[in-house]
Amino acid sequence: MLSRKWIIAASLLIGVTAAHGLLGVNRATAADAKCEPDKLATKYPALAGKTIKLATDAESPPYSFRDPKDFNNIIGIDVDMARAAFKCIGAQMTINTGSWSGLLPSVIAGQNDLMWDDLYYTAERAKQVDYVVYMLAGTGGLVKKGNPKKITSLADLCGLTGTAGLGTVEEAALRDQSKKCVAEGKKEINILTYPDIPAGTRLVQNDRADVMLTDLGLVDQLAHDNPTQFERGIKVISDFNIGVAMKKGNDDLVKAIFESMQALQADGTQKKIFEKYSVDTSLIIPIALRTK
Amino acid sequence: MGDDARHLGDSASVMTEKTNRPVSTRIALVGAAIAIVAALIMLLVTWQTPSGGEGAPGATLSSLASGPAAVQQQMGWAHEVISYITLPFLLTGALVAIQISALAMLGGLFLGLCLALMRLSRFAVVRAFAWIYIWFVRGTPQLLQLVFIYDALPAIGIRFDTFTTAVIGFALNEAAFSAEIIRGGILSVNRNQSIAAAAFGMNPLLTMRRIILPQAMRAIMPAIANDTIAMIKLTSIASVIFVNELTFRSQQIVGQNFKFFTVFAAAGVIYLVMTSAISLVQAALERRFNLEIEPRGMGDTAIGRLLGFRPTLPSAAPASGAELAPGVPSSARATRAQRSNWVEALMSGPHWQSNGDGLEFVACKDVWKSYGNREVLKGIDLTVNRGEVVTIMGPSGSGKSTLLRLINHLEGLDRGEIKVDGKYVGYEKVGGMLRPTRHLAAARAQARIGMVFQHFNLFDHFTAVENIMEAPVRVYGEDPAKARQLALHLLAGVGLAHHASHLPHRLSGGQQQRVAIARALAISPRLMLFDEPTSALDPELVAEVLAVIRRLAEAGMTMIVVTHEVRFAREVADRVIFMDDGRIVEQGTPAQVLLNPTQDRTQRFLRLVEHDSEVVQ
Repeated sequence: MLSRKWIIAASLLIGVTAAHGLLGVNRATAADAKCEPDKLATKYPALAGKTIKLATDAESPPYSFRDPKDFNNIIGIDVDMARAAFKCIGAQMTINTGSWSGLLPSVIAGQNDLMWDDLYYTAERAKQVDYVVYMLAGTGGLVKKGNPKKITSLADLCGLTGTAGLGTVEEAALRDQSKKCVAEGKKEINILTYPDIPAGTRLVQNDRADVMLTDLGLVDQLAHDNPTQFERGIKVISDFNIGVAMKKGNDDLVKAIFESMQALQADGTQKKIFEKYSVDTSLIIPIALRTK
Repeated sequence: MGDDARHLGDSASVMTEKTNRPVSTRIALVGAAIAIVAALIMLLVTWQTPSGGEGAPGATLSSLASGPAAVQQQMGWAHEVISYITLPFLLTGALVAIQISALAMLGGLFLGLCLALMRLSRFAVVRAFAWIYIWFVRGTPQLLQLVFIYDALPAIGIRFDTFTTAVIGFALNEAAFSAEIIRGGILSVNRNQSIAAAAFGMNPLLTMRRIILPQAMRAIMPAIANDTIAMIKLTSIASVIFVNELTFRSQQIVGQNFKFFTVFAAAGVIYLVMTSAISLVQAALERRFNLEIEPRGMGDTAIGRLLGFRPTLPSAAPASGAELAPGVPSSARATRAQRSNWVEALMSGPHWQSNGDGLEFVACKDVWKSYGNREVLKGIDLTVNRGEVVTIMGPSGSGKSTLLRLINHLEGLDRGEIKVDGKYVGYEKVGGMLRPTRHLAAARAQARIGMVFQHFNLFDHFTAVENIMEAPVRVYGEDPAKARQLALHLLAGVGLAHHASHLPHRLSGGQQQRVAIARALAISPRLMLFDEPTSALDPELVAEVLAVIRRLAEAGMTMIVVTHEVRFAREVADRVIFMDDGRIVEQGTPAQVLLNPTQDRTQRFLRLVEHDSEVVQ
């Protein structure tokens, strides 16, 4: 298992080296992925004495959100992992919160050093940023406790009422499925759109909708926090990877995040953080570097 | 911006990520507005019920599923809103919004004023620059501007932090909007105000600062208050550049606990408190700029103080005319017994040393002027001697008023030349041609030509005494205390000692015109121009104004009076000029022109006006 992971990592890094000539990252594959905060200056000299600026939106549970016990604190799987990673690296980190759509541009512009907030890897984005990916994205279907309509897949929705955020990919998924239903001679799906998550949950709660489609992590957390009200009916794992994004050219930072995340995955910290926020641990994937 | 902002054109490939946030924000804010009203009602209803519900900041997702609310939950709900209103986390966000708005408003108004003035410039390039700036900034989304400043400028080495970016972005935007508001305010001020200021040698900037802007303020104020309120709320869009203000912070709380109703209700109440404060400031300022609200202390120019101008010295109104003597130069007191005339005081000053030789004081030679294609003056030759009183008569459109305005260079002449006391006013001779000099206002001031207008043109926002003091203090740099003494003295001279602290709109037409004459006299004029000084007056008030002019004539003031008052001309004028169609038709002593006119045109005109004046008398 371990050796396989190393092969993946090594082959990825060779690819990176070929593309960017990042000899420093290449050399890192030889190093053991473990936490050595004391050796910051020798392992990642560019980070020494620097405070790394992390961009997140603090309004996307379970990835990044305000601590209900103290709103001045930000928590979530992404933020918790970031803290753990920087502890492992030994570098200082500061969190800047802005609305989600402004996060990646700020990293590209150099106003922040990395974005860690439920960001999907895409080839288009990888032209401007390097990724360290750590989990799969998924879509979940939130249903009422007991799943009265026995919904376990999108195909079960024909003739029922489904809700999704206005203009989201989930809405598109519902419309696609509705067409399939009609093509198969079944009834179409009655589709309602909601402007924000609480509005969507109210639709399910009040029996106005049979299922609410949204991010898998969020669905899991909603079901976990409201065990008498909801449960997860549908789980669709996509092949999208979620990762940390850093502006190209910050080799030491990319290397530091990559190696520290490997260490956190190896020692089970990542799994513990996922469990803490009731996020499906089967979404965890081997840490990988994606640069194009 | 919406989903486009989700960068780099790959939205099709994105799966879950985020819901459509801009829409949700908008709806949330509408909800918040409704929530405020509901919350306040709830507060009243449930005020005495102790809270059994969950404390707001400690609540989690478990409360999300409360649904259409049992009565019990509603009770805790009101307290929850209060706990959010007083939450330092949200109040800090409100403070950020206030700080950004205050700084951006200051910078924006300053830039906006500059842009407004540029838009009114006589240079096409300057106008075009301002226009393009306003066109661009007003025409592009502010969100894009912020993102551009924050995320694109670093590429060329300009890097601002979050707060600075927000202040700059909002200031640049406000500049474009306030420029048009300020320009509108400036244009709303009657043009006769700046004409009067120019006649007294005030330069354009001084006129703008002292005369136009204070009066424009009343029109500007409500719109600027609108902008301020809009800006406070709009700072929420700066969350895209990492500004953590009130809306973004409340969104974060909602993102965590899903209590969007109570959290946004609380945010709404906080916004309402902030914007109410602005509304109160607006109301207070509008009160101060409202000239109709009396009383208003002497020298108490609220406008001036607000704009940071030098306040005039406080002074009490004189108890009686007799006490004015200390302000009169001793030379005047000496002649008091003989001529009993305050005008003497003015005419004995140092400004009366002549530059030229001989009698000739105003010399117009072959003066031509046209507006567009219409020729208004067609070769006027006119000489006025020192101490002479010349009245100009003639039908409307004959060019009388235009001639006056050319003499003190309120308007430029097309051909010919005019000398006052042997000098050009604001012209220099270059290669046989007259060319306007650059310092026209200074030239006008130096010429010391007093002008009285048909419609008085008093500065509407100044009291009578402030109107008179303005030019001496601001143009001639005289000591304000002395200028005030002189002003009070002059007011007493025109019989208005007790109206010193009245604003023009509280005075009758005749009183206003007498103040206007006193104002013209305050600059120690060597020549007085009267442009139909009684035409806008009720017949009953004409006499009081003419009496003042008559006394000036007796004192030996050189005067050119455009008037239709035949009797006045007959009794006071040394010479009468009759003009028609841009030419001098006839001139001579009053006896010659008024009693035995040789020209047919003059006879016809005189028959008309004499008939009118007999009806009046």
